[in-house]
Formats: sequence, structure tokens, C-alpha cells
Amino acid sequence: MKLAVFVHEYREPEVLDRLKAEKLGIILVQNGVYHATVKKDGQPSPILSRNAEFYALSEDLATRGFSDDKVDPKVKVLNYDGLVDLIFNDYEKILWL
Amino acid sequence: MIKRYAFVVNKLPYKAETTRLALTHAIASQTAEIHLEDGQGVEPVIAFIGEGVLNCLKNQKALDIYGVTSQEMHLKNALLLDLKVLVCKEDLERFGLSQDDIVMDAEELGAEVTTQVVPFDDIMKEIETADQVLYF
Repeated sequence: MKLAVFVHEYREPEVLDRLKAEKLGIILVQNGVYHATVKKDGQPSPILSRNAEFYALSEDLATRGFSDDKVDPKVKVLNYDGLVDLIFNDYEKILWL
Repeated sequence: MIKRYAFVVNKLPYKAETTRLALTHAIASQTAEIHLEDGQGVEPVIAFIGEGVLNCLKNQKALDIYGVTSQEMHLKNALLLDLKVLVCKEDLERFGLSQDDIVMDAEELGAEVTTQVVPFDDIMKEIETADQVLYF
């Protein structure tokens, strides 16, 4: 199964450990975009060490004062149009965590 | 007699209204003076600690993108009204940020006071000496 999950808070949802997918996409939106930008104590967010594809919503980054160059290189920045394309073309199931 | 109110913000912006409430209440608290007797007053201080320091980042585009006022705008309004704004130095450093990354002044609005980046001990003193502490 190709599974995409939305992470919308700056904490790691526990259920992430239990999800199994042939392809996992983690879509960082709302306060979830801090995972893509903030290094706490000099360390990137642990969520980025997972075996997954990462995406962050550009509108939510800009709202919080982050430009694209502040985003971790593992994370692909998408706008709303790009996000819709991603959901319809690349993933079969979507979860909001 | 002056009553001192400390508004302490520890939460992230936008997901909830907490920061906006803290800033707007701190600003509004000054208007309470019109209901007070001579010699009485209100002195608010706003302190950002923990993840709350991320409210202070510059270049927030909330108004352009979602049509909501950004925390940056509220923060600048607070500075314009001479409110004391403190940001925890240790927490700012913990997130790899410096004064260059946050709203330090509102010169374009004509504000004369600036944000103060201070050790947590200084914020603790504000909490200790405040008549009321409001934690957001």
C-alpha cells in the first residue's frame, strides 16, 4: 500500500511507529512544518530519520516566517496544487494524524 | 498603584489562538486604565519561552496567504504601544535562532521600544514580581 500521512503538530505522532506501508509519505502541514525547519539543540527533528518521503506545504512555511531555503534537504516543498497532485497520483490511502 | 501583569507564551502560533489572545489581551490591558482611579495603572509584560519563541520569527506571511493577522503584526503593535516584550535567550539558542531571525523592533510603525532577548532568570523575576501571571 502507498500511504501518505499528514502531520500537523510539532510532536511526533506515536502511531507512526506502527504504520506499515510499501511506500510511506509524510506530509508536514500547519505546525508540522516545524519538523522540516527547526533544529532543536542542533538536531533535526527525529521524524526526518524515518524511511519515508517527506513533503511540506509552502503556504504553511511562509505563514510561519520560513523561506524554502530553511527547509531540510530531505523535504520537498509543495504548494496546495502540488499537494493535490501528490495525493491523487502518488498515494492510495491518506491518514490525518 | 501600578498592577503588573505577566503574559507568558509557551505555545506555537496559528494552530490555536493562544498567542494571539496573549498579545491582544496584553495590548488591551492598557486600555483598562480609563476605568481606574488617578494613581492606578496597569503594566503588562509579554514573555516568550520554550516553543513560544517561534512566534517571534520575522517575515510571517499569514495575512497574504490565509487572510489572518500574523503574530509578527501583533508583536509590532505591542512594541508600538511601548509594551515590554521579552524573549528567552536560552530557548532562542535551543532552536538555533538569533536576534536576526526574530522581530526586534517596529521602527517602520514608529515604535521606540525594542524586543529584549534575556536569560530565563530575568523572565522568572518578571513572573515573581508580577501581580498576576497569565500563561498561554
